[in-house]
Amino acid sequence: MEDLSRFKQTYFDESAELLEVAEAGLLRLTPGEVDSDEVNAIFRAVHSIKGGGGAFGFTELVAFAHEFETVMDGVRNNTVPVTTELVDTLIRANDLLGQMLAYAREGDPAPAGTTDGTVAALRRHLSGGAPQAQAPAPVPSAPAPAPVYADDEDDEAGLFGDAMAAIAAARAEEDPVPPGKLRWTIVFRPRSDLLMSGNEPAFMLRALRRLGDATVECHTDALPTLQNLEAELLHLSWTVTLIADADVDLDKINDVFEFVADDCDIRITAEAPPPVSSGTSPVTDPVPVAAAAPPAVAVATPEAPPKTPGADAPKAEAARPRPNGGGAEHAGLTSHTIRVDLDKIDRLVNMVGEMVITQAMIAEHVRELPPGEFQELLEGLEQLAQHTRELRESVMSIRAQPVSSVFSRMPRLVRECAATTGKEVQLVTSGETTEVDKTVVENLVDPLTHMIRNSIDHGLEGPEERERVGKPRAGTVHLSAQHRSGRIVIEITDNGRGINRPKVLSKAIEKGLVQPGATLSDEEIDNLIFLPGFSTADQVSNLSGRGVGMDVVRRNITSLGGRIGVYSTPGEGSRFVLSLPLTLAVLDGMVISVGEERFVLPLTNIVESLRPKAADLHGLVGKCDVMMARGEYVRLVYLHQLFGIPGAVADPTRALVVLVETEDGARLGLVVDEVLGQQQVVIKSLEANFRRLDGVAAATILGDGRVALILDVAGLREMSRHMDSRAPRPPSSPVAALPAPALEPV
Amino acid sequence: MTLIKWSDEGGTVRLGLPSDLDLAMAQPLLDSLRAGFAASGTVVAEAGAVERVSTACVQALVVASRHAAEQNRTFAIAQPSEVLAEACEDLGLDGWLKQWSQA
Repeated sequence: MEDLSRFKQTYFDESAELLEVAEAGLLRLTPGEVDSDEVNAIFRAVHSIKGGGGAFGFTELVAFAHEFETVMDGVRNNTVPVTTELVDTLIRANDLLGQMLAYAREGDPAPAGTTDGTVAALRRHLSGGAPQAQAPAPVPSAPAPAPVYADDEDDEAGLFGDAMAAIAAARAEEDPVPPGKLRWTIVFRPRSDLLMSGNEPAFMLRALRRLGDATVECHTDALPTLQNLEAELLHLSWTVTLIADADVDLDKINDVFEFVADDCDIRITAEAPPPVSSGTSPVTDPVPVAAAAPPAVAVATPEAPPKTPGADAPKAEAARPRPNGGGAEHAGLTSHTIRVDLDKIDRLVNMVGEMVITQAMIAEHVRELPPGEFQELLEGLEQLAQHTRELRESVMSIRAQPVSSVFSRMPRLVRECAATTGKEVQLVTSGETTEVDKTVVENLVDPLTHMIRNSIDHGLEGPEERERVGKPRAGTVHLSAQHRSGRIVIEITDNGRGINRPKVLSKAIEKGLVQPGATLSDEEIDNLIFLPGFSTADQVSNLSGRGVGMDVVRRNITSLGGRIGVYSTPGEGSRFVLSLPLTLAVLDGMVISVGEERFVLPLTNIVESLRPKAADLHGLVGKCDVMMARGEYVRLVYLHQLFGIPGAVADPTRALVVLVETEDGARLGLVVDEVLGQQQVVIKSLEANFRRLDGVAAATILGDGRVALILDVAGLREMSRHMDSRAPRPPSSPVAALPAPALEPV
Repeated sequence: MTLIKWSDEGGTVRLGLPSDLDLAMAQPLLDSLRAGFAASGTVVAEAGAVERVSTACVQALVVASRHAAEQNRTFAIAQPSEVLAEACEDLGLDGWLKQWSQA
């Protein structure tokens, strides 16, 4: 909603496809052999174009599409007979609709009378051959019907709600927007079950009235008959025209619909005051929204005076210049995007991955060339490496999507959870535009849903309890996303009571998950909630408490190559941190060797590599070795110990220490034999090809054809905590002993 | 099926709309309107006592008015309360109410 131009682009792309659908259907439309499915498809195509056009305020386009659609409706209702002449008229109408779209895309008004001839022809068919200047009058014996809108029960595009056809016609005759004001058009189409969730449209419409001078139109055309009406299902929709001060922005309007965003289709367009023409006083007030939401209604210009309905314009129509040169087809309406099957993209991603491997192999061979020779070849290969990297990034960006598609589902969830638990909850989101691989986005829904439910159900206190402890009655859940260290980090933070550690620990002991008398750190206790079957809820609620949640959340996140951590402060709240890879295909890594084995460390985790002096090394009695690096102690992790690799260099003063950092800022020193060099590697899932391994994120194929494991730094940290990672060393080892408390936390 | 209070006076069914026309009342109102039209060609909804109204109930009344128009029956909303009038205005149905409260 914030970026209308993006939706507009989508609209034109969709419309181009719909025009093709309509044309193909019209070409198959044969008198005497009418296929109702075909007719419906054409109707839906035209209807969808009209609907979207209305949402963007393409007045003339909508008016014309309405005429086209009305005839198609007659065809599908068998009130307009299909004749060769009709089909010709409809094909012409379809071409003209393409031209109208092209004008709209260019931001130009269609020349006066562009559609008149075709409209007249369409109306002749509608009235059985007799000229028909106006739409049918209301039935005299009955009260005037509500404004006529075609419902979009079958909106094929799915992107655009009902058209604002009636507004379009009315607007053309309206006064221009007063200076300093904005005219908003809000199309509000609730889902039929909106009322059942306790929402009341009248309140929202009343709230809109408070923002300015509002005119509300109710659309009743989708109402069923008295016999078919289900009392609690809503079939009304509304269009609100709001003239408001410039300080009323899109956010303020969206706020009105905050709680029903997922339960309705809302289209908002803005119209600024008209440009100043000579002889009129200048418009002094800038209109801040104009850039984001271009004027929705084309203002009449000397080149395009208001047309006279019914004017005889067939000849004018033929002579009209068409945007972009125009042809008989949908002139100028070229699409700026294409839809591509996801499989094709994935094949492309795979091929780029293979290309990366091949490039690495070539680079490996080139190293063996005599120094100083084949300079041009080396430069060419360097360029190839650069292009490969750019190609990789471009391909990956195709699969990238903003997390907003997931975040936008959460307000409704929060609202429902708040209603179920009787708590007052405010959801704050940030970083919605952060992009990540499509697969990651799609797999975020369930974990986030569960964690937010958990935060509300377990974390936040009830309003009375919060007041007692001096907190605001409403608790806050903050959902954020950001790029950090080449990964996406998503945090769910609440300001509730925090994890009840004594309760968690006693529950874990009761369930046999922890030995009685075991001493666990706060962090270790917090992490117990991720154990399978763990729940502290005294009562099983609808939301959580069945103990099947957080372990599944962790498993889901891990299967995406991600990690989850929890940080809690009693009385202040909890913070869940998800760290996920941006892409699941390739990464920049550093190849290291340990004994005869090769590993890859993600480049984003590496701080530096160094060979420590004996004086920098210390032993933490009964725990681990640490190294003094840049003023702080860092735990040493001996990879050969963790993975049981023989023949590795065990003495850090003779080996290398690669200083790495996890997403949460914790540092480790990995003891390795050698650092072999930087390389772009293709990620091959270990789970899919073998099984998950602790401390290993995935596998890859190196330039020399060997398989290497890609290390998971945070996983290594966890592994090292659960084993005594002190290197066996001779008695003369220079490693000095340190008292344990000096090192917490590492 | 629960029906709201109604009376049949000389072929005219009069429905006495309750003060609270909330969502829960939509079904009884709808049932009553159906029953009213089944029993008579003229249905009048007495709306003077309405103090609270939901969109669902307004929608049922709109459907009833359309039914009357299509079936050449008579339907009217008598003495709409201020609350009902305001709700209809909020919903963009003030014109509709004016039309049918004068019928």
